[in-house]
Amino acid sequence: MQDYIDSGVPAYFHARRSIVKLVALPGRRTLVLLLGFCLAIAATFFFGYRAGRTARHVRWQNEPIRPWMSVPFVAHTWHTREQPLFEAIGVPPNPHDHRPIRDIARAEKRPAAELISDLQKAIANSDQTGKTP
Amino acid sequence: MSEQVLAALARYGSPALFAIVAVAAVGVPLPVTLLLIVTGSLAAQGLMNFWSAIAIAAVGSVAGDQIGYAVGRWGGSRLVAGLSRMIGSAERIRELDARAKSWGGAGVFFSRWLVAPLGPWINLASGAADYSWLRFTVWDFVGESFGAGIFIWLGRVFSDRVQEIGSILGDLTWAIIGLLAAVFLGWKLFFKRGMGATAEASPATKA
Repeated sequence: MQDYIDSGVPAYFHARRSIVKLVALPGRRTLVLLLGFCLAIAATFFFGYRAGRTARHVRWQNEPIRPWMSVPFVAHTWHTREQPLFEAIGVPPNPHDHRPIRDIARAEKRPAAELISDLQKAIANSDQTGKTP
Repeated sequence: MSEQVLAALARYGSPALFAIVAVAAVGVPLPVTLLLIVTGSLAAQGLMNFWSAIAIAAVGSVAGDQIGYAVGRWGGSRLVAGLSRMIGSAERIRELDARAKSWGGAGVFFSRWLVAPLGPWINLASGAADYSWLRFTVWDFVGESFGAGIFIWLGRVFSDRVQEIGSILGDLTWAIIGLLAAVFLGWKLFFKRGMGATAEASPATKA
């Protein structure tokens, strides 16, 4: 049996021998490898789980409004018209205005968070009044 | 950083896309996957042409990758000395060199899109290992075009869900990198050591 393990190819025996060796004599290099192995497994499960969780909720969650978005972009992601959104933040409606909200906020000398809040209210109002196409 | 990058894309379109993907390919950590998905969304809104966006993203990325490759290849003795210290010995470098040549094409191709965070390192390693420039460029262009095509297409299909799709793809990329690392480390821990032990033990057993 011992001869078979030593001369044979089966990976199972190599693995068993390694595990025995790991437990018996955990050198510094082995410990580093083992730690890296455990971290890699943990990272795989963590990111895999997070991806799955996001995928499950993707249909029910609305896209949050971010300062990098332009008003037409917000209108597209929320399936609403641009005009009420421009009006809500006090900017003349212009479908070719692709400035990000943060640039509009800078030009209007208002915080971007305030404009985002106004946009959210306008979207909620347009939903209630059935203006969404 | 993410906000500035996406704001630049929303405002300036194609020139910003080209510049950002090129800088990211050199190794600056920028959210390229999300950028490409947002590009797809802009294409769905009629603000960018779908095919030209793919071409611009691919060419920009290849331009950045070329810089990484050139630094690896002609980066001078300091880079090689640094790599030697990291890797171990001249023997080890020759081994890595041979491995880079045998795995080169697939490594370059998959690191363009499937495990994109490794891309800049593969560029450096390919240059340092003297991997053929022509082969590198061909695989690079194929991989970057494929990756840009996938992400921009996903952005076009899910144009109203760009952040969630970007988040899912980002997490999946790291999960794949974690899995590859686990397989590699597991192989070193449980199999390579086992084979080494067998090779050492066999003559004694036979004797």
